[in-house]
Amino acid sequence: MKVQIDRRRIWLIIILKSFRPVFFLATGLFFFYIINLPTPDGLTIQGQRAIALFVVCLILWVTGLLPLAITSLLAIVTVPLLGILDKKETYALFGNEAVFFILGAFILAGAAMHSGLSSRIALAIMNRFGNTPAGLVFSIFILAAVLSFFMSEHAVAAMLFPIVLEIAKGLNLKPGKSNYAKSLFLALAWGCIIGGIATFLGGARVPLAVGMLKEATGINIDFFEYTVMVFPTVLIMLLIGYFWLTRFFPSDIEDIHLAKSVFERKMKEIGKTGYMEYAVGFVMIITILFWLFFGKSLGIANIAIVSVVALFILKLVRWKDIEEYVNWGIILMYGGAITLGASMEKSGAAAWIANTIIGDWANSPLLVIAIFSLLTILLTEGMSNAAVIAILLPVGIGMASQFNIEPKLITYAIAVPAGLAFCFPMATPANAIAVSSGYITTKDMAKAGIVMMILAWVVFNMTARFYWPMIGIKL
Amino acid sequence: MAIMKEKTKTYLHNPGYLKVELMLKGIRVDGKALKKANLDKCRDVANITCGLDIILPHNTWVTVPYADDFVNDSPYELIESEGKFFVREGAESVNVSVVPTPKFYRLKTTTGISLSKIGIVHGGHVAITPATQCDFFNKEIECRYCAGNPDIKKGKASVYTVEDVLETVEAAYKEGKAEIVYLSIGFSETADGGIEFLKPYIKAIKKHFNTLIAVEALPPKENKWIDETYAIGADSVLYNLEIFDPKLFEDICPGRAAIIGRKRHLDALEYAATVFPSGTVASHLIVGLEPIESTVTGIDFLTNMGVIPILPVYRPSPRAKLPHYKMPSTEVIAPVYGYLYRAVTTNKINTSWVRDISVVTTPLEGRFFVDDNARMQTFAQNFYKSRLGLKAAWSLATLRRKLRVKLEHSD
Ligand code: SF4
Repeated sequence: MKVQIDRRRIWLIIILKSFRPVFFLATGLFFFYIINLPTPDGLTIQGQRAIALFVVCLILWVTGLLPLAITSLLAIVTVPLLGILDKKETYALFGNEAVFFILGAFILAGAAMHSGLSSRIALAIMNRFGNTPAGLVFSIFILAAVLSFFMSEHAVAAMLFPIVLEIAKGLNLKPGKSNYAKSLFLALAWGCIIGGIATFLGGARVPLAVGMLKEATGINIDFFEYTVMVFPTVLIMLLIGYFWLTRFFPSDIEDIHLAKSVFERKMKEIGKTGYMEYAVGFVMIITILFWLFFGKSLGIANIAIVSVVALFILKLVRWKDIEEYVNWGIILMYGGAITLGASMEKSGAAAWIANTIIGDWANSPLLVIAIFSLLTILLTEGMSNAAVIAILLPVGIGMASQFNIEPKLITYAIAVPAGLAFCFPMATPANAIAVSSGYITTKDMAKAGIVMMILAWVVFNMTARFYWPMIGIKL
Repeated sequence: MAIMKEKTKTYLHNPGYLKVELMLKGIRVDGKALKKANLDKCRDVANITCGLDIILPHNTWVTVPYADDFVNDSPYELIESEGKFFVREGAESVNVSVVPTPKFYRLKTTTGISLSKIGIVHGGHVAITPATQCDFFNKEIECRYCAGNPDIKKGKASVYTVEDVLETVEAAYKEGKAEIVYLSIGFSETADGGIEFLKPYIKAIKKHFNTLIAVEALPPKENKWIDETYAIGADSVLYNLEIFDPKLFEDICPGRAAIIGRKRHLDALEYAATVFPSGTVASHLIVGLEPIESTVTGIDFLTNMGVIPILPVYRPSPRAKLPHYKMPSTEVIAPVYGYLYRAVTTNKINTSWVRDISVVTTPLEGRFFVDDNARMQTFAQNFYKSRLGLKAAWSLATLRRKLRVKLEHSD
């Protein structure tokens, strides 16, 4: 624990410290103010209360003054307390399929990491393809992306980070100066970000959005369907990302044989492939195949949980090993967001907001997608991507049903760009991890990332405009 | 600086002058008065400040030598009449109080150590040195004026346990003698200046008692240890430079000069003054070991940084390595204290903290030399000595620490 003394003037500290209680008091008063306003035409009293709660959660999620999970818990208990939904229904929403899918995905990824399987794959690929400076950047970029198809992008970033750090050190690259080091760490971050939107497994936000959609409308998006819808965006962004990375940070080294020795040493450290890795790999492959081909009929959460049980039956992991990989905070956050989203929808609040605020311009689905994806991609740079979904999706879904737009499309327009945060370390853990290396600064990341952000928005909208109709999606 | 005053009349009626006179010359006490004062033996076991604690008018505390031979030449005498005590000089006298020996001095810890060995009371403060060790002695670069507690030498230190210290503080606290607990530590070859060693003591005292803690140590190598000192509960800190003149500093304090350096002393004090509250960062400048002009320059330098200079007068000790030292007279010293008072008030440094110190003239007592009644400061000081004031001081110190200290988890 590090001690720091705030040496500013004491009155300034008192003012700054009193900000928090004053803020919460003001938020509480604002909440009561909204609740006590006369109920507008077309809105039920439950709807009005749901909006008041939604506004409070929005403020708390955006400011981050409470942990996301705690705001979600607040939402869960307040929904029945305000009579928006009854207790039983509220807590049942928390047991949503998406929540259990996320839990299963955390455990499966934890097993892959704990067994050493994921590190082995990473090292093997980098060793095999990383023979030139460009080849090494490419292999890190693609590896991070591909691994993020199968496990949380945050976990991939955390897993690959020490290896990339050792490569940078092994090559004697200068922190903050070396272009090549910058491209290595951005390759790691951007690979994770782009790969993370490809499937349900890259981050918990897609299951969250799908769960919210299902609770609100009964409409489901399955694993395979989602991947088919977003794959062109992923592929194009990977190409653009690599191109931009190597142009923006042209390599300033020619020889990377020192990196090879890092791989070799690390490979030696982990030894030969053991039974555990084979067995965990086998369970993972079977699970993914089931998600792809039987996800619709069996339910992706069921498949995930059965696989988890199989891991324990086969004694491939112990609960103690897995616990550290399960992010309970995220699970609570998602449960709360789903509950709040459903209460907005079921109370008619979402539709009312869509009607009142968004109004007439929402007559073209493409325009709606463009605007929601733009809002999302901007917001996600400054706040947690799950919070962006929790805020925008209830309104988006409300609007879709109001203006006869397919709610699934709005879900894509929010869930996919929510993962595409390229500019700032606070936007996503993959960026934060890259900046924490000291080899790349926030300024470098923002400069290179802003172009990626704009291109990502354009590519996503182009995919919607040209590709989705090709696979039979009516806009 | 005020013009030096020639002794043409008695100092009995000016508590500032009288305090200096008594500290320098001591007091004669006959056996009867001693018995009445319940003081038949030297009360300071460490034998450094063996003396009689007297409260002069205006609540001025002084520890007066009374057992040494030189007191036979003192013009001052302690007399008792009808249960009252007086300091008499010639035909004139002034009414004083004699502070009885703290009762806890007779007690022992559960491990059998006499509490008077662990804690020494000066006014409302109890001074404790948990480890009587200073590595300067082992390297033979100790400060030349240091009387050198026999315990200090050659690794023979006594280390009191946290429990021993807690028992002592508890006993002193119950008697109202622990408004402030002074914890001191000598030099040890660690970067933290000994604060890591003192940490469990400070934490334990803070946990059990609503008292303020002052730490007297050598400056740590890095400022982070000063932050740590404040964060763990010290309310005041003393990094004693002792001698302001650079050359004399090297000569008289060879260990401090060679291993820590004068600059680090000053830097640490400057930094500490930005961490601790006003008036709680202090440094000794010994009067008489360097020219008075140099002490005055030191006063200006320290007070400009927000540091309180504490000016003890050095009394020669047969064990110290300063054979040619000659003690200055009251007339030489007095204007320095007046100057100190002016410098501290000009720089708006809080004087409530350094109070009731019986072995040295405090900055606020300097007002007696410049004929200033310092109404506001004395009111504040008296308030902080009241029950309510003590509670308020403790609560404010705790609140301030809560507001200023930020703990960052380094994961
Ligand atoms: S630091 Fe100097 S004064 Fe203090 S104990 Fe050591 S030698 Fe004595």
